Amino acid sequence: MTDHITQINYLDPELLQKLGDLELVAREVVEGLRVGSHRSPLRGFSTEFAHHRQYAPGDAIRDIDWRVYGRTDRYYTKLYEAETNFDCHVLIDASASMSYGSGKVNKLEYAKFLAASLAYLVLKQRDSVGLSVFDSEVRTYMPPRSAMGIIVEIDRTLREIIPTPKTTVAKQLHDIALMMKRRSFVILISDLLADVEDIMAGLDHLRFDGHNVVVLHTLDPYELEFPFKGTWRFEGLEREEPLTTQPERIREDYVTNLDKYLTALRSGCIGANIDYKTVDTSRPLDGVLNEFFAERATTLNGGAVGARQ
Amino acid sequence: MNFLNPLLLLGALGIGLPILAHMLNRFEVKHTDWAAMQFLNRSVRVRSRQLKLRDVILLILRCLALLLIVAAITRPATKRQNGLLAGLGEKRAAVIIALDVSFSMQHSDGTRTRFETALDKVDAIKEGIRPGNPVTLVLLGTEHRVVVRNMAFDPDEFDEVLATLEVTSESLDIDSLPRLLKALAADMKAPQKEIYIITDMQEHDWKPRSTWLNDSFKDLAKHASVFVLPVAGGTENLTVTGLELVSGVLRKGTSARYRATVRNCGVSVAQQVRVSGLVNNISADTKIIPSIAPGTSESVSLFLSFSDPGPVRIVAKAEWDGDKLEPDNLRRAVAVIRDKVSVLCVEGTSGEGGSSGSLITAALRAGGSSKGQDDLDVESVSWVDLPAQDLKNFDVVVLADVPDITAEQAGVLERYVRDGNGLIWFGGDYVKADVWNKRSALAGTPLLPAVIEEQMRTGDAMGIGRPLDPSMTDHPVCRPLRSLPEDLLSETRFLTLLRVKPTSSSVKVLTLAGSDAPVLLEHALGRGHVFMFTTTAGSDWNNMAVTPVFPMLLQQIVTYLTAREFETPRLVGDSLSLSYVDQPDATDAVFDTPSGDVITVPVRDYRSQYVALLNGAREAGFYLARVSLQAAGMPVAVNVDTKESTIKGMSAEDTARSLDGTGVTIVRSNEAILAASEEASPARSLWRILMMAGLAFFVIESIFAEMISARAAKGKAASA
Repeated sequence: MTDHITQINYLDPELLQKLGDLELVAREVVEGLRVGSHRSPLRGFSTEFAHHRQYAPGDAIRDIDWRVYGRTDRYYTKLYEAETNFDCHVLIDASASMSYGSGKVNKLEYAKFLAASLAYLVLKQRDSVGLSVFDSEVRTYMPPRSAMGIIVEIDRTLREIIPTPKTTVAKQLHDIALMMKRRSFVILISDLLADVEDIMAGLDHLRFDGHNVVVLHTLDPYELEFPFKGTWRFEGLEREEPLTTQPERIREDYVTNLDKYLTALRSGCIGANIDYKTVDTSRPLDGVLNEFFAERATTLNGGAVGARQ
Repeated sequence: MNFLNPLLLLGALGIGLPILAHMLNRFEVKHTDWAAMQFLNRSVRVRSRQLKLRDVILLILRCLALLLIVAAITRPATKRQNGLLAGLGEKRAAVIIALDVSFSMQHSDGTRTRFETALDKVDAIKEGIRPGNPVTLVLLGTEHRVVVRNMAFDPDEFDEVLATLEVTSESLDIDSLPRLLKALAADMKAPQKEIYIITDMQEHDWKPRSTWLNDSFKDLAKHASVFVLPVAGGTENLTVTGLELVSGVLRKGTSARYRATVRNCGVSVAQQVRVSGLVNNISADTKIIPSIAPGTSESVSLFLSFSDPGPVRIVAKAEWDGDKLEPDNLRRAVAVIRDKVSVLCVEGTSGEGGSSGSLITAALRAGGSSKGQDDLDVESVSWVDLPAQDLKNFDVVVLADVPDITAEQAGVLERYVRDGNGLIWFGGDYVKADVWNKRSALAGTPLLPAVIEEQMRTGDAMGIGRPLDPSMTDHPVCRPLRSLPEDLLSETRFLTLLRVKPTSSSVKVLTLAGSDAPVLLEHALGRGHVFMFTTTAGSDWNNMAVTPVFPMLLQQIVTYLTAREFETPRLVGDSLSLSYVDQPDATDAVFDTPSGDVITVPVRDYRSQYVALLNGAREAGFYLARVSLQAAGMPVAVNVDTKESTIKGMSAEDTARSLDGTGVTIVRSNEAILAASEEASPARSLWRILMMAGLAFFVIESIFAEMISARAAKGKAASA
């Protein structure tokens, strides 16, 4: 598989080297999904002993470990952990707005790297991974598979993406939800530059279908900070009316609008039990993933799963 | 509307800077694709438009402020008396007050002096000056003095200056007045300039004005409104116009005759005028002049005796009850009384009877008392003994028909004269002209005042010589000769003279009648003088030696030669100089003024002589010139210029006629001063209102900009 990887654009060996350490973390995350509030939606094909627990009325008699009883005269039941046969579906927003980037890498490119990395990690865990690409409509739907060969297909699909202006998000998410046959772990990578209600409608559909949804909200640092100086003409990537202004002087209004939007989106995600994370595309990818997994782990150890920044 | 600094209007081009900055900012638009257009929603767009509008308002405010300030700096003024501009403008006039402080202004009409009346006029002018307007005050005299220059008018401060003003002993120099006033006016920045000349308008100053002076006033009136404020006053005045030594040798124990001339400058006959001669402030002689007709002068002889050697202060003082002007009633002179006068007579002839030496000795001693003869030591030697003589023992050396001298002797004689002694040279048959010319020309300045050419016969065919020209120069040596009867003077005949070519520095003292041939020439050499007779001291070439002319002339020459530099009286405004033979130890000379001030003057090297020069004596009286603070001084008499004593002012008609066409306005009464100023169509200055408006716009713009940036900072903090 390593040979394949060297030929794949969106799996940088150096990055993968860094991501290697994430494998265990990722596994833990996936397991956590099963035993935590996001239980694995599928029944496993095999069981693996986890630990003993003192028998309590109501426990299945077949689970009592008679050997332990023979040695200790006490009833203990065996607890097993199911190995997940985990389906992960990565959704990439390939709308024109994702093509914005203030630095070397635009949001779409960043999203591609992010998707490829996640797919790789899932496959490394011997789980299934699928990919959907959408803009104004669903351009690609690739059902989850656990064969390592899918990574090549994913890479090709990512390379072939051409950004196109979109109208809504909800419709595309509805369409994808209809295409997904099994309950899956859905990771949406998008800048979500649309109406919050529309976005939440789409996400709710996924949730209502029993999918576990994680939103990785990719935003460019310039979109977050609006640090422009001088006079600028902003040309909308989604065919909006252009605006010439002195950004320094309207920054206050811009930031207010952005905050309002982010707050609404975050609140919506929390309400819908959807994991939410804002991803600054200027940050290193491994750092983002590391942080994401760390947050997931923390949540699994105690707190309720919810939206995080 | 006119501008005081029109060139500064170019500063208005500066308005282009904020506009350029604005335009550059607008046109230097950077483009970017942008995804998050939903956050640049309508409200942001509206806000952006508001900001653009705010920018335009700021730009307009900034430009307006700049324009107004530039306009203010150019000092605009309007002469319109009505309308908004005239209403907003303030009357701003630069005022120059030229106040006559010549000594005639000290004349009193019995109650007030002219100067006090002039100060009243200054007070009246002050009433029309707004605080802060530029004011210049110039005192008019021999040298005009600007005591206040372009001062922002403050009544109290100006009054303090006025309180210190005094009438000087100077006369009025009107010729230089228009040019000075024009320069002062040019120096003042104001839309309207007013010049007030306060003077007693003496006839001798104002009536005989030249065309050039009239044109100067006309030119001045183009640059400013010129007002002449005549100060009226009395008319009576007596003045002592002269005090001269007429005869006598200034030696200890002798008397000298001085002539004091008193002039009646008034319009009434002055009767019983008392003239006193004072020696060192002690009355030595007094004469009464019974009457002096208006416009005429009378002279009296004052016989003054000198008991002690050294410099004495001599004063002639005229007193008359009708006189109301004091400074010109005194005339001062200084005489250096010698203990003894020694004359060395060097003869070139054989010394036989009737030799020039004996004639010179007899002439010098003629008319003197026995005591006087003791004080005059005349020693005759042959020219071959000249090298053996120590010239330091003699005040005057007479060379009579000396054939020639060596180069060394020429140098000794030149040094002797330069040290302040006198040399009298007589021609004769023995004189070797070429040798004398050669020796005389050895020094930078020739020893003799003329180059000797050859003998010339001046007698007629009958053998009768030619007499002296009776129209003599005003040289002091000629004074006693002028009093001789003409027939006595004409008896002095000259048969032979040396033809000479006078040097440029020489003065012909006596010439022959009917020709310009000089008989006696004089020139100064260093601190001394050389007299050169082109004839003999004996009777070979003339009969002068046996006439009364010879002793009078010779004694007068000796007196003149033994006089010192400072014995010549000076006038107020003249420079006083103190010359040194050698480089002095002290680097500064000291002049004590009559009022007791001490003025230190540096000693400068001037044409190989060391001279300390005090420019312009300002007071009348006796100055004391000293080579250093510790040294004894030599008094110097400084008198007022009596041309200022003719105090009669011009009549109203004459004044009007005199200044007609010059553009100068005559203002007679104090009440008319303000009206005259108003009539001069005062320009109204707009610079203050423009400057205030400009600054106000700047302040508004700054506050506006500050509010915007504060709001932006607040937003930034909130978003952070």
